[in-house]
Amino acid sequence: MSDAKPRTDAKPKRKKSRIRWRPWLRAMHRDIGYLAIGLTLVYALSGLAVNHIADWDPSFRQIDKTHQVKGPFPREEKARAQYVLDQLGRKQKPKEVFEISDTELEIVFEKRTLHVDTEQGEVLEEGQEPRFMLRAANWLHLNRGKKAWTWIADGYAVFLLFLALSGLFMIPGRKGLIGRGAVLAAVGAAVPIAYVVLSGGP
Amino acid sequence: MIYRPSMRRRDFIRTASEGTLVVAFGGGVYAVAPSEAYAKQKRSDGRPRVPPGQRVLTALKPMGGSPGSPSRSQFRLKVYGEVEKPFELDFKQLLAFKKKTRKSDVHCVTGWTVLDAVWTGTRVRDLAKKAKVKKTAHYVIFEAAHGYTANVPLKEALGPKVMVAHRLGGKPLRRAHGAPVRVVVPDLYFWKSAKWLTGIRFVKRDQPGYWETRGYHNHADPWKEERHS
Repeated sequence: MSDAKPRTDAKPKRKKSRIRWRPWLRAMHRDIGYLAIGLTLVYALSGLAVNHIADWDPSFRQIDKTHQVKGPFPREEKARAQYVLDQLGRKQKPKEVFEISDTELEIVFEKRTLHVDTEQGEVLEEGQEPRFMLRAANWLHLNRGKKAWTWIADGYAVFLLFLALSGLFMIPGRKGLIGRGAVLAAVGAAVPIAYVVLSGGP
Repeated sequence: MIYRPSMRRRDFIRTASEGTLVVAFGGGVYAVAPSEAYAKQKRSDGRPRVPPGQRVLTALKPMGGSPGSPSRSQFRLKVYGEVEKPFELDFKQLLAFKKKTRKSDVHCVTGWTVLDAVWTGTRVRDLAKKAKVKKTAHYVIFEAAHGYTANVPLKEALGPKVMVAHRLGGKPLRRAHGAPVRVVVPDLYFWKSAKWLTGIRFVKRDQPGYWETRGYHNHADPWKEERHS
């Protein structure tokens, strides 16, 4: 039987301390993702809409109609405009009436204009109605408002950078960054590079 | 209970990739299809009628922008800068100016072209003549609603078909196309043809405009495909 006592001078093996950063990264990714949702929708929807601007007007619906009005037309400018409006059954009060010449009269409303040719009795009705939501989204996307929106858009760009980079490291995976993640990240980075190379660049 | 996905991850990725390729190439074929009927036509200067990368449409498309006031009664056009006699015109005064009707082709940077659009208006060279442009002027800045500007070299701005137009196709210019008045610079991409025109400023040095400072080409020649800088 041994009477040996356990050694007390030996230092206890210290456990390697690890900072658990992934849960923090995931939490920040999630929260910044929540914050970015509004602007992501604005930029994504407007981006789709504006990318196809050659095929449609992403901000406005066009009004384009031709009407025929029987003469004779009153001589006085305002009476002439009222006569046309009565003939067309319009109750809305125009913003402005402008006699361009003896045979041309313009009746202006907020979103449309009536161009009256009193010689031919022809009324061209044209104008544009803003598309619900898209008009505002496109306005923001193209930064037509300027001012503080530049700062907001810059902040959003920083958020996107964080989301892209933090996404790479959020979940370790079996092989870390050298597995499927590396392949997909390489494909993602290769798309713009390949496009520039194949298209001849700017 | 064991969860069994209806599709393996590898199959899903392959199917999604194939679908993406079909959509991408389908779109590509649609976008680059040439306008065969016009492909062989030449302009008087020997250049092809339809610039490279353009498809021919039958009517102008509204291309957006921040609309200005369509009011003809409130319209004012300022002609100023490097000139001896700056002046301002209202709509009726503009109509009283020497009027021209010209057919010209329109080339949009987004890839569409409209041939033989009929514009009525006053030539920029006639307005410049009245203002007596100084020899120090080398560029023209077309100014429009909400601070939009487009820069054009003086020589090109004074071309025979460059005009301040108030009618298109014999009808009053529509709001979507810049009513009451827009400039038309047919031989440059159409963003140079500022809608809702408010001023023509002659300047000594070039001043890149709204799109030119946002990555678009400073000159915008459609035959050289000067779309972006």
